[in-house]
Amino acid sequence: MASRSAELSTMRASRRSSVQLWRRIQEVSLGYLLLAPALILLLVFEVFPIFYGLYISACDWRLSCVQFIGIDNYIRAFTEPDMWRSLLVTATYSAIAVPVQLGLGLLLAYLLFQKIRGQQLFRVLFFMPYITSTVASAAIWSFLYNQDKGLINSILTQFGFPALRWLSEKTGVWQMLVQPLGIELPGWATGPSLAMIALIIYTTWVFVGYDIAIFLAGLGNIPGELYDAAKVDGASGWTLFRNITLPLLSPTTFFLLVLTVIGTFKAFNHIWVMTQGGPVDATTTTSIYIFKQLFQYNRYGYSAALSFILFAVILVLTIAQNRFAGRRVVYD
Amino acid sequence: MRASKILILTLFVILVFGVTSCAAPEPAKPAATSAPGQPTTAAPKPVTVNNPPKSADEVDAIDLAGKKVSVTYWHQRPQVQHEILQAMLDEFNKTNPYGITAKAEIAGASYNDVFTKVSAAIQASQPPEMSVAYQNQAAFYRSQNGVIDLTPFMKSKKYGLTEADLKDYFQAFLATDDSPQYKGERLGFPTQRSAEVMYYNADWLKKLGYDAPPKDWKTWEEVVCKAADPATKKYGWAFRHDASNFASQVFGRGGTIINADATAYVFNSQAGIDTLAAIQRMFKNKCAVEIPVAERNGEQTRFGNGEVLFVFASSSGMSFYEEAVSKGAKFKWDIALLPYAQKPALNLYGASVSVFKTTPEKELAAWIVIKFLGEKAQTAKWATATGYLPVRASAKDEVVATYKKDPKWGAAADSYAKIFDWGQYAMIEAPVGGYDPVRDIIDKKVMTSVLTDFNIDPKKLLDDAVAEANKILKENTPK
Repeated sequence: MASRSAELSTMRASRRSSVQLWRRIQEVSLGYLLLAPALILLLVFEVFPIFYGLYISACDWRLSCVQFIGIDNYIRAFTEPDMWRSLLVTATYSAIAVPVQLGLGLLLAYLLFQKIRGQQLFRVLFFMPYITSTVASAAIWSFLYNQDKGLINSILTQFGFPALRWLSEKTGVWQMLVQPLGIELPGWATGPSLAMIALIIYTTWVFVGYDIAIFLAGLGNIPGELYDAAKVDGASGWTLFRNITLPLLSPTTFFLLVLTVIGTFKAFNHIWVMTQGGPVDATTTTSIYIFKQLFQYNRYGYSAALSFILFAVILVLTIAQNRFAGRRVVYD
Repeated sequence: MRASKILILTLFVILVFGVTSCAAPEPAKPAATSAPGQPTTAAPKPVTVNNPPKSADEVDAIDLAGKKVSVTYWHQRPQVQHEILQAMLDEFNKTNPYGITAKAEIAGASYNDVFTKVSAAIQASQPPEMSVAYQNQAAFYRSQNGVIDLTPFMKSKKYGLTEADLKDYFQAFLATDDSPQYKGERLGFPTQRSAEVMYYNADWLKKLGYDAPPKDWKTWEEVVCKAADPATKKYGWAFRHDASNFASQVFGRGGTIINADATAYVFNSQAGIDTLAAIQRMFKNKCAVEIPVAERNGEQTRFGNGEVLFVFASSSGMSFYEEAVSKGAKFKWDIALLPYAQKPALNLYGASVSVFKTTPEKELAAWIVIKFLGEKAQTAKWATATGYLPVRASAKDEVVATYKKDPKWGAAADSYAKIFDWGQYAMIEAPVGGYDPVRDIIDKKVMTSVLTDFNIDPKKLLDDAVAEANKILKENTPK
């Protein structure tokens, strides 16, 4: 009798567990089924193009893979001085644009966070370039930079300065500064070209509004009591900014840093409109170099390989930022 | 349970639609293989039509009856001229006996834009049926098996050109489309042509003491510098970023861009060095002004405003120059051949129309559209509206007469007529695949360098550029 009851209870337990298992399978299946549209979209529009791009980069590609050449396109890229030059130009662009953009963004956000008249108007004004079409605004800036008809040079000449070849000057800015003194700097010390500086000014004008908006959100999240307490202890001005604002704003700063570095490494539209990578190669960033290799030289496999190299560079930089800058972020 | 059934059904529908829309395009059906007309006594030997057709007989065997073929034509002309082109095509659509429908589409604002778009379309296996293309661009498309040889169509008894038609075409225009890289193949057909000419401000030139534009380079440079006054932003010559600008001057100095059999670039010749040295000198002496890349058509606007004396530009821009002058400083202007060393030279350009590999029926339909656009009435209409040169000798008088009747053209109408006589000096740049990046090198690395660096050695610049150009040529040589 006891053994019969034990048998029954084992059977019930077994049936219960198989029902549970079946329910679990149903739940999981339903989960995957609901995920399926998103997964299919991701596979078709994200994963497949990446692998297809990888395949193209391993080919001598002319409408189709004429010959599978393995890593030849990558070797070619690493042995091509123009590719290294483009990476250097990109790094220079990023190294100047990122601190200028973030620094100015933070400064302006801090000012706009204070109780000043016309605060909303300034916020809108600073944000407007960001929502303006890049191609249109870059074309307008090209006119502003025009050597003998542009507004910027008209102002400069009014004050007795010489008209500058903003977008077509490949000479480094340090060299330009010391040139009137008859000094010739060595190549490495001539500095970024004036054309590059002109592009950075434009980039800052466009993106500073976005940085301000994000910084303002970050500033709004800092509890006011912290400032009140610090003021009671006698802190003010710079001390408050350095010891409270900067550390507590660090998650926002870190987020913007990662985003801006990626953005500068991918920058293309305004550079193409304003300089097309010129004068000579002074503003040929890696994106411009890839575009030219694809659409002018029609080197499909090679440009695909270059794209993966640029992707790897951005990935490494992002990981490095996470490792080094990420440690200094204060989250609470 | 019911909800999950609905969900599953919805997903199934999405999947089915997704899969069907992602399915490979239907392969091109083989073309008709019967000969035209009905057999009478003995059945004609069936002709197999290849894609693209390889002989005139194959073209003759294509039957368009009842197929309602439509073709799209990509071009780069502005909206006003696009409308004229479409009006011509509308007329074709109404009158052609084959039921072909042709549609023009603006594929960009420049030939480069069209090239970029077509290259991407070929990669995606979705090219238009026909597009404007320079000879070098057509050669590049050919290397991708993108465009087809038009010789069989041209020679077709049923759809081709008659002997009289062929003779009526300007032979120099026809010759430019014979590919030196793909021997015996015609990768495009001219429906228009233009040439690099020298626009000059006749009133200003007279003020400087010259009744006619200078014919030699030395005098020309003297006049350029005499005219320049940087303080008032007036310059003798507007330098525009375009390799054709360099090529035309090299031709005028007796050089060429590529050798005769198109196997090596040779623009580092003495003619090239002299051209570059002259540009360098003129900029050093502040005689010329650079038109920045971003200032589209800046040379035209500045010319119209009376700010530059000379501009080297396409004859197809005459109507735009006329408009710029009439809206600007309103002076007498004219065109002339560029200065030259020993003998005159004319950089003949203007894209042809290429036909892309689609189906034999569509290829034939595209050819019939090209043939229509090349007819006397069409080429005359197009030339009158755009400033391009007509492609047929029989249309020349009509076009010139129309220009002369219109008072706005003034002396330029006579000069326009002269371009046909200058045709005997015609030269073309480099009708080989991969010339576009070479043009970029010439502009960005060679010419741009001498504008600012007055110590740079033109010969070294050109030697380096030619070495790079020859690498590109090798890469684009048919294998």
